[in-house]
Formats: sequence, C-alpha cells, structure tokens
Amino acid sequence: MLSQSSIGARSRDVFGLRCLPGECVLQRTVMVRKKLTAREGRGWLSGTLFCTHFRVAFVPQDCPKADDNSDPILLGDHDIALASIEKVVAVGPNRTKLVTPNSSLKFTPEELVLYCRDMRVMCFLFDRLTPDAQVLEITYTIAKTYQPLKPGSVLAFQNGALGSVEMKQFLSNRHRDSHMNWFESASDWEQELERCGATSWRVSSVNDRFEMSNSLSRFIVVPQKVLDTELKKSFAHFNEGRIPRWCWRHPRGSDLLRMSSFQNNIYHEKDDIRNLEMVLFGCQSSLCVVVELGDELPSPADIQLAHSRLRALCLGDISSSVSVPDDKWLSTLEGTHWLDYIRSCLRKASEVSCLLRSGHLTVALQEVEDRDMSCVVSSLVQVMCDPHYRTQHGFQGLVQKEWVMAGHRFYSRINYHRDSDKEESPVFLLFLDCVWHLWFQFPSRFQLTDDFLLALHDSVHLPLFSTFLSNCQRERCKRSQNVGQLYTPVNGWRDMLGPDSSSDTSDPPLPPVWDWALQYSRERRDGFVQPVAPTPPLQPLLNGNLNTNLDTHRLADAGPGSVFLLSRGAFTCPANLPPWRSGGSGAYRKSHRRAMSCENVPGLERLLKAWALTELPQNTATTSGPKGPLDPYEPLLPLLMGPCMSLWRECYLRGALHAQAFSHPVSTNRPHPVDRLAQEVQQLQNQLDQLSPHAAPDSLTVTSDPRRPDTNLNQSTNNSTFLYSALRPKTTPSPTSTNQHTSRGPTSASAPPPRPTRDGPKHSFLFGHSAVAETRSDPRYHPPPGATKLPKSNGSSLTS
Amino acid sequence: MEKSGSVDSLGSKPSSRQPSVDSLSSTSTSRSDRSAQAKPPSVLSSDSVSTSAEFSPELRVKPKATAKKAHRDSDKEEPQLLPNETVQDMAYDITYFCPFTGALRGTVMVTNYRLFFKSMDKDPAFMLDLPLGVVSRVEKIGNASNRVDSSYGVVCKDMRILRFSHKQVDDTLKKSIFEVLMKFAFPVSNGLQIFAFEYGQVFPENGWKVYDPISEYKRQGIPNESWRITKVNDHFELCDTYPSTLVVPVNIPDEDLKRVAAFRAKGRIPVLSWIHPESQATVTRCSQPMVGVNGKRSKEDEKYLQAIMDANAQSHKLFIFDARPSVNAAANKMKGGGYESEDAYQNAELVFLDIHNIHVMRESLRKIKDLVYPNIEDSHWLSNLESTHWLEHIKLILAGALRIADKVESGKTSVVVHCSDGWDRTAQLTSLSLLMLDGYYRTIRGFEVLLEKEWLSFGHRFQLRIGHGDKNHNDADRSPVFIQFIDCVWQLTRQFPAAFEFNEYFLVTILDHLYSCLFGTFLCNSEQQRLKEEIPKRTVSVWSYINSQLEEFTNPMYVNYSNQVLFPVVSLRHLELWSGYYIRWNPRMKPQEPIHQRHKELLAKRAELQKRVNELQREVTNRSASSSSERAGSPTRSITPVQTFV
Repeated sequence: MLSQSSIGARSRDVFGLRCLPGECVLQRTVMVRKKLTAREGRGWLSGTLFCTHFRVAFVPQDCPKADDNSDPILLGDHDIALASIEKVVAVGPNRTKLVTPNSSLKFTPEELVLYCRDMRVMCFLFDRLTPDAQVLEITYTIAKTYQPLKPGSVLAFQNGALGSVEMKQFLSNRHRDSHMNWFESASDWEQELERCGATSWRVSSVNDRFEMSNSLSRFIVVPQKVLDTELKKSFAHFNEGRIPRWCWRHPRGSDLLRMSSFQNNIYHEKDDIRNLEMVLFGCQSSLCVVVELGDELPSPADIQLAHSRLRALCLGDISSSVSVPDDKWLSTLEGTHWLDYIRSCLRKASEVSCLLRSGHLTVALQEVEDRDMSCVVSSLVQVMCDPHYRTQHGFQGLVQKEWVMAGHRFYSRINYHRDSDKEESPVFLLFLDCVWHLWFQFPSRFQLTDDFLLALHDSVHLPLFSTFLSNCQRERCKRSQNVGQLYTPVNGWRDMLGPDSSSDTSDPPLPPVWDWALQYSRERRDGFVQPVAPTPPLQPLLNGNLNTNLDTHRLADAGPGSVFLLSRGAFTCPANLPPWRSGGSGAYRKSHRRAMSCENVPGLERLLKAWALTELPQNTATTSGPKGPLDPYEPLLPLLMGPCMSLWRECYLRGALHAQAFSHPVSTNRPHPVDRLAQEVQQLQNQLDQLSPHAAPDSLTVTSDPRRPDTNLNQSTNNSTFLYSALRPKTTPSPTSTNQHTSRGPTSASAPPPRPTRDGPKHSFLFGHSAVAETRSDPRYHPPPGATKLPKSNGSSLTS
Repeated sequence: MEKSGSVDSLGSKPSSRQPSVDSLSSTSTSRSDRSAQAKPPSVLSSDSVSTSAEFSPELRVKPKATAKKAHRDSDKEEPQLLPNETVQDMAYDITYFCPFTGALRGTVMVTNYRLFFKSMDKDPAFMLDLPLGVVSRVEKIGNASNRVDSSYGVVCKDMRILRFSHKQVDDTLKKSIFEVLMKFAFPVSNGLQIFAFEYGQVFPENGWKVYDPISEYKRQGIPNESWRITKVNDHFELCDTYPSTLVVPVNIPDEDLKRVAAFRAKGRIPVLSWIHPESQATVTRCSQPMVGVNGKRSKEDEKYLQAIMDANAQSHKLFIFDARPSVNAAANKMKGGGYESEDAYQNAELVFLDIHNIHVMRESLRKIKDLVYPNIEDSHWLSNLESTHWLEHIKLILAGALRIADKVESGKTSVVVHCSDGWDRTAQLTSLSLLMLDGYYRTIRGFEVLLEKEWLSFGHRFQLRIGHGDKNHNDADRSPVFIQFIDCVWQLTRQFPAAFEFNEYFLVTILDHLYSCLFGTFLCNSEQQRLKEEIPKRTVSVWSYINSQLEEFTNPMYVNYSNQVLFPVVSLRHLELWSGYYIRWNPRMKPQEPIHQRHKELLAKRAELQKRVNELQREVTNRSASSSSERAGSPTRSITPVQTFV
C-alpha cells in the first residue's frame, strides 16, 4: 500500500491522482498508454495507471490539476470502478492470459485489457520503459482487488468508495436535485397531476404503510370519485395487489394506467366489479382498452439471453479467442434477437401511443406482475408522446415514476450480488436502448443526448446507487430506517422529515444515481443535454384539454360513438365480461384480443391503422416539417423496418479491439462539430448579450474592467435572468443600431429574440422551434422569468 | 408569395438565386422553399428534386405550402419541360401499381427525356418523374387470361421496378405508349441521340472547366525533380484509354514508355496519381503486366518500377497492390496477363487485395435489389443482407484503400496499384486512398476533380458499365463499380461526418445523373472518345449544375481538416447499408428528421450572430476610439475567442 489517506483533507493528490477521501492507492505504474475509442478520438494517450481499492484510474500526462476544493468525483474520465470490471486479460508477446486473483504470470504483459460489465473494454499498453516490476505488480493488484461480484464484495466495494467518515459526511450533506420530480411524496404526484392536467385523479395514501401492496409505492393515483374504502377492496383482486393506477395523461384526454393481472382464485362480489369499473373508467373516459403485454413482448429470460449473446458478440473477447468472424457479424447479431426485442417494445409503445392520441379513452397496460415490461412500455409511451420526458430532468423523473417507485426489481434484475441468477435480466438496459433508438431517429426532438443515456447505462453496473439497489419503495424505506442494515440509502421521504440519521450507521449512505456531479466531471455532464435545445416549447399544460381544437379531425375519423358502444360491450358489460366470472384471465385475454383485432371494433382498428399511415411521408412531413404549429404531443413514431433498427455502437462496440485496424491519432471526431457549432452560437449570443446593452454606456466611461463585476453580479444571482434581461434591449435597439436594423431588413429581426417580429412559427424550423425552446426549455438559455411555473424547467442550477 | 415561387420558378436559372448568405440567414428558408430551390436548374427526375434529407421521389408529396399551390395548378398536367425536351406521346387511363400505396390511375407522358406519370387519385397529386436514362429494360408482362389489359414492367437501373397497365389498344396500328417509351429510352439502340446532346440549359458556371490536369498536377507540385509531365500520349497513341497528360518518372524517356506500354495490358503504363507533399511517396496506377504462362519479363518495365521507387528517397521498397484475389491473378496468366514476380522486381513487394471482379459485384448488388425492393422482410433482414455479401465487398475495397493510404502515409513508401485492366478496381482503390490521404479531394470541387481524373480521364468505361441508352440490359460488361465506389465514399462520410464538404445529397445526385443522361459527364468510355464525340462542346457537365447551387450540396458540418489523413475502421461492424440510396424508394424508410436542415439553420444563425457581433464590435471600437485611445483595444479583446471553422 503506497499511501494512506490523511484525515481532514477532503481529497488529495497522490502522485497526481486525485483521491477520494479515504481512498488508498495500492499500486501505480508510470509510462502507460491508454487506447482511446473512436468517440474519444482514437489513438493513444500516455499517462500513469493507478489501482486503488475502489477503482483503476488513469491520469493522462498533461491533465490539468483539479481544484483542490472542488467536490470529489467518484470516477475520472478514464477511470473504471473495480466493481465494473469483469475480466482482466494480460497480453504478452505471443500470448494472452486471463488473470485471476490466484494466477501467476510467466511473462511480462505488454498490454492489459480490462473487460467491463458495462461493455467497455479498456486497453492499457505498457511502454518498454515501464519498469517490469511495476507492470507485473499492477496486473496482480488489479486481478486481486477487482471484485468478481458476490454477496460480500458489493458491500466491501461500497465501503471502499463511500465508507470514509468524510465521504459519509459529504454524502449526507448533498442536496437532492430539486429540478426533477422524485415521485416520493404525495405532493410530487400532485405536481405531476397538475402538469398533465389530470384533474379528475387524486393521490391516495391508502398504501402508506405498504399494507395494501408490498411492491407499490406509498402513494398511488386513482380516480377522484373512488373512495379509499372502495379502493381497498380492489387490491385483493390483483396480483401482488397492484391495482390499476394512473401513470400519465395525454393532453387530448386519454389516460395511461398500469396494473397486474387479475387474481382468479378469490370470490368476487358484485361490488368489487363495480369498484374495478370505477377505477378503470373513473375519469370521463368512456372507453377502456386493456393492453396485455405478455403476448408479443419478450420475457425477462428472453432479454437476459439476448443480452448475454450480444455481450459475447460485441466484446470480442480475446482471452477466449472465440471471436465472431467479421463476415458472420450480421447474422450473429440477428441471432441475438436483441434488435427484435427492441422493435417489439417500440412497436407496442407506438400502438399504445396511437390509441392515446385518439383521445378520451383509458389505456391500461396489463402484465402478470406489472414490474417489467409494463415499466418499459409505459415509459416508452411517455417518452414518445411527452416532450417533457425527453429532457434530462423529465426523463429522470420518468424513471423515478415508472421504474423506481413502480417497483421494478432493479436489485434482482441487475443481480449485483450474483445471488439471483434466475431473476437476472437487463430489462432496464433494453429500455435504454429503446430510448436510444428514439433518440437516434429523432435527435432534435430530445433535449437529452445519447451521452446521457450512455452514462446512465454505465451507472447501472455500479453497485453504489440507492436507485438500483432495491426492488421497491418498501425495501428502500426499510433499509433506511434500520440502522445497521446493509444499505442506508439516502432517500426519499425520510430526508424530508428531518436530518438524515445515517451518520450513526456504520455503512455509507448510498446516493441516488441522479447525483451526476458525484460521478462525472463537469465536461462530461455538459454533454448530457443538447447545447441548443431543439424541442418544441415545454409549456405546462394548464388543464390537459388541448383536445378541444386538436381533436376535431380525429373525432370524425375515429367515430367515438361507435367505439364507445362496441368496446364498452366488449370490455365492460358486467353480465359477461368481468374477468373473474368468465373463468380465468386466459379467457379474458382472449375476448380482449378478439375485440382488439377483429372487425367488431372498427374504431380501434382505425386508430391503429392511423399509426400505419403516419409512417407514410404525408404525416412525417407534418410532424417534422416546418409548416404549421407542430403539435408537441404528436408521438414520435419510430421506423421499425429491418434497415432502421441499428445497433447502439457507441455503447456496445465502444472498446471493441477488432475495430482498430490502424491506430493513428485522428482527432476528427472531437469535439463533435455540431457541439462546437452550437457552442459557438452560444458564445456569439453571449457576446451579443454583453455587447448590446453595454455598448452605448460603456463606451463613454468605462473600460472592460468595470463591466466585469457587472456581468458577474448578474450571473451569480441568476444566469438566466441575466441572459434574458440582457437580450431585452435588443428589441428596442439603441439609436445607432437602428440603422443597422433598417438597412439589413427583415433578417435582423430574426436575431434573438427572434420571434416577436416574424409572423409565427411557420417560417423556419430553427427559429420556429428552438428559438422558443431556447427561451423555455433549456435552462441555460434565458428562460423568461415566470414563463414557466414549474421549477424543473427553470434550472439555473446547471449554470451555477 | 415566397411559397408559390416553388412551382412558378421551375426552370428558372439558378443565377436568379439569392446570394448564399442572404438565403441562409433568411428565416423563411423553410422546407418547401428548399425543395423549390432544388428544382429550378434542371427539373430533373424527382429524385434530384427532393430535399437533401430525403431522396425518395416515389411518393413525392409536396410540402404543404406547395401542395396548396398544386391544387390551383392541378389543371396543369405536364411538368415543366426542359429546354429542347419535346412530348412524344401521352396516354390516359394508365394504372400504376405502386408497391407501397396500391394501384393508381393517371396519365402517362413520354418525352425524349422522361416518363411522367400523374395521378389525381391522391391528394396531393401523385407524380412519378423518371428520366428515361434510368430505364434498364421494359418488359411486357404476358397475361394470357387477361386480354383486355396489357401490363408493362419498367425495370430501372436505380433499384426500382415500376409496373403499369392499360387497356389493350383496339387500333392495332397504334403503338402502346410503352413501345414509344422503349424507343426513347434506348436511343443508342434505335439510332437516336442521347438527350444530353439536345439539352441546352446554360449554367453560370462551366463544369467542363472543373478539371485541368496541368493545374491539378501543379497543385501536387508536379513537375518536380523526379516526375515530369509527358505529352507522349497527346494523340492517344501510347494508350487510347489513358488521358493525354501523363506524369512519369523524369529519367524514363518517352521511347522507353512505349516499350513499357507494350508489356502492360492495353498499354496502360504505371503513371502517377498522387504524390505525398512531404515524403514524396507516390500512388501510381497501371494495368497488369503481360507476363503470361511463360513468365515473360520486360527490362524496361522493371527499370520503370525501379525509377518509381527511386523517386521516393524515403523508402527502398515499393509496394505493388494487385486488387484481385491471387487465384484470379494467376488465372489471368492463361490470357497473357498475370502479376509481377518478386524475382523480377527487386525491392518490390506484391500484395493481393482479394477484391472480386465486376461480375461478382453485379450479382451482389442484384441481390441487394431483390432484398430491398419493393418489400423488406424484417425478420431476417440482417442475415439476408449478409448473404448478399455487398458489405463484405465494400469492406474489402475500403480495406485495400486503407492499406494503400497507410503504406503511403505511415510507411512513406510508394505504391503501384493495378487490377487486370486498371480501370475498375484500380480506380476504386486509388480514388478512395486519395480521399483518405488528401483533404483537397474531400471538398466538393476536389471531389469533382478526383472523379474527372481517376475515373473519367483514366478511362473507367462508363458507357459499357452503365449502358447509356443501350437496350442490351444483359450485357456482361455492365457492373455497378462506380456505384460501389460512391457507396464506399458514403461509408467514409459516415465515419468522418465533418471531414467532407459535400453531403449525402451530393452523392445521390451524382448517381442519379450517372443514369439520367441529362449531362454529358458520364457518357463514353474514355477521354479520347469524349473528345471525338465533342462531348464538352455538345453537352452540359453535371458539375455545371452542381456548382451552380453549391449550398444544396454542402455539408454544414464540414471542418477543413486538410492535413488530416482519414483512417476509417473497415470492420463490418462499422459499415452499414446505404439505405438513403438503396432503399430510398420505400416511403417507410424516410428519415424522420431533416437533420441537415437543422445544421444549416444553426450555421445561418451563427453567420447572422457573427455579423451582428462584428457590427457591434466595430461600433464599440469606433466609439471608444473616439473617446479614449487607451481603452480602444479592450472591448475587442474580450470578444475574440470565437473561432470560425467553416
């Protein structure tokens, strides 16, 4: 052990590595080169390799020294947590060897390859000048300290990373991101109801003590008119008590619900049926469509198998030397079925989106357990339909709502402890890939970027976050209450009750994954959102009833009357259709499916057909073209044909060694020109902001120095206000610039803020959308104070 | 009425376009405007009309703004005709069986340039605008049971098959419109003239002046102490498929060149394509040596290759890249050809690149066509794609070009590239490696020069490979070699999105006019033939059209990395099928977002902001200069850090 942490210093430099409090450097090797991926610009980077008891760290030679007083960051840009290492392979002159804790090497490695769980492959090359002893030592050290996941090791890892006194203190003092909705308290849910304009729903605390359902969250959303007493009777009729709950409301008045399958083994009273109906139809919708998710979607076991095949294919493991030859790549990729599963999820979500779009119906997603594919589908539907969920904070809220609080079994599905192999299934990763596909096909409709998805993907493999270390809210609460338990997640509602009590526990408090500042550097986090937000305006919906004007053509098209009658007959007629009367859910499902597909329900048929039609360019043109006010809630319907399903190369083929035919430094890809362009646009805009208001007064009396504090003052109070107020004067230009305005004609009017003078959004794609977006959605772009009421879209935190 | 201009301005000269800065910064650059701008200069096939983000004309739906106009114009049946385009026949009540939307009834018009189908069944009207040059064959689909209707299939070179049918003509003397179509689709076979010779459009720029060999070689620093420009082929006596201007080693006299020519197939001696500005390593191209079964040798040829090697002081080795698989190269000995033996050529190393011949490529692309048109089977898409081997061929070509570029750049070694005749695979390899090595060729004009030089002047046999106006669709000489090259370029642009000045639309446009026969550029087989036919005098160059509206073809994200060498990843895992070209007819493949559009607008916004900043800067400097001299510099200093990269 080379060094011990000194108490008191929050973080220190040890041989150039900025350690976390309490982190020990176990081994250090100089003159190492790290192979860079295509995204990083390819080529090599030389520096020093470290192994601590928490991570393998690489510090490039000329990396700037970080500010000593800044907060610790768990992983630098080139670091890997020990827990995410899956395999260590040493490459010698003529051979490769898998290095295990017990193995001894008979050669000095020239190259060290670390295969990670998150599908990165890190490759370190030792120079001839690297001392042999150091090379061997670090190889052994890494092999001994990286922890093949097993029950005990995760805790040791957590302690290693977060267990020091300073770290605990630091973690317990961190504030939660208030720009996202955590869906933990009743008010969180009410806020969402208000955002969606779902007025006929209410938050019920009937499950406050998890007595009704173990796996549901404490608060659930049910129709206004259903009383808690009536509600209580419904729980027994659903698997695990997961009754139909509200998830989201389409602005056209449709509601999205999810529920588990019906319990058939208990006696049902007539009242129960009535209660169920009330829950399903509680809000003005007269038509309910139950979407059974079991039929066409992969099972968790399917997903697990597909993912493990995909891993094996993409990593191209040199130690096992069974790499798929290049000419079989396509068929092998097809054989994993991963892309098929993504397609079926996206297709299902597209169907549901189209149903919802038609307005005034209730779509209830039903899955046996309601804890896997319904998470995928319900959140995909919301990403497709609601621009809010395509922002970083909105998306984080969505994951909280549909996954964390809804009780997706992260803990079992990720299988950190390797004690639930049968349960293991990367359902969440499948979901991330689906979102990536949407992003890939509609990049400009997202505020978040693929970088963000990638970061989230990688964090899943790090057993440090309370978000992923429990199966449901009840478990999380239990853990945080029980002092001395294995985990003490900083979470939720307890925080709000008072100061966290975790300081008396011996185990570290676990942060939520959304505390990105803990994980990634500022530069990396900057890449999580698009520099110029392109999405349509995210105005909060006041009452959720956009349908008044939008629905006209749809209503004529869908024929609500007929749909209402037919489906009501098929789904809700108490005489024959309550599922528990007709002999089991199988029969129920059958009848439901018949209703969905046969000619009996032409209206529904037509809704789904409408989806097929939107794949034709007519509608594509209307959704993406610049013409007319674009409906922000028009779902993003992805293309799902074979050639459109692409592989998330930036994720799965990140480290693939076979990709490096020649490794010459090529910096072409970095930074991405779009980013640079956007940055430049912003720089210019900032300069403009600085110049235009100050130009006149400054020029007479002051130099640039007095201007400085002025700017800083503004920025420190609220950057966005600064930007906005700074922009104002331009619309009323100073006398001198009036000349320019007139001489330049209409073009000058399109300078930011561009909209007021031009007539409406039909003019241009950029100014029609992003200009609006700039003012509203991207926090770094002068949101007008008061334009948005919700705190999440008024995020000065990003800039401060 | 900006919007309505889209239809009215059809056929107007591109010179009437606004200066680029203005049109960029105008907020009204909406999609409909864009397509309108794309239209005027040529009113081409609808292929070239569609906006850069989408290339599918099959279901061309005018953007809403123009659609309204289309209603008003609906009585106007015909498209705007090109200069000297004349209507040859018209027929009503024709059914077009669109594989995507079903049968449509409408009118067909055949001119000496195009087939135009219009149906009012749909709203907006459905139109199909097909340059006749695209037609590969027209077949009557026999249907004995149906005596009333006659059906025709129009098989196109650009991956489509169009089906039409109409009522049987009662009057046996009157020809079906598709018979007329056949006459004008294959002018060469019917003793007519290709439309390019009649097309009289005048463009502000003359595309025939794009490439001047002397100035291109001068750009490379030639002549220099080791290389000279020879006029030995001035009258195409040395080699009739080579250009008149050739660059050869200084110390080889013209007489020796003739002897070398005797030993190289078709007289295609090794000549310089490109020279590295620093290391002086060169890329030279030629045809196979006429070794034959007896292993013939040529002192002059050996001396010649030695001279090529000696011209580069950095290396004492010469790499000879034979594009063929070694088996094929050996088999060529039976026909008198073969490859250089390393015994005869000291210091030379021979490498086979395993690229297959034109017949294999043709077959592979045919399989792609079967796969993507009209319908795509989703469930086995990837394995079906694999079984076409198309991407594998692409990979081998890219890998070969990569090895050449690597030898020249990193190994500082000169290379000689040949296949059998040196006009198919050799052209692919040299032009791709030049693209990797020299940033100039990644600009629009540079790419035009590259095509003019490596493909057109060095005698890629476009007439034979494409079969312009020739009805003999089964000709074994036809092959998609050039398409394959453009596909490789597209793969490069995918991997290096900022390194190319042109966009995808540029590549698609080139391919569309490869077939359209509207321009003379791709006619004939060699420079000699082109001069004989007076192509530059009698036809318009496609570069005239392209260079007259460059902004349509400009990649907004272009960063001039002129000194960067591109080393693409050639693994199949990083190659993709170019669905923007091969599957563009399928309306379901339409890209969902006009991403180029957004990039363009960002650029426009930046240009505008930059302008404004400059103005304000000037203003501030003026004022502060007038008030106090010591502070004059400060405002500018605080503003400088914006760098311009486009």
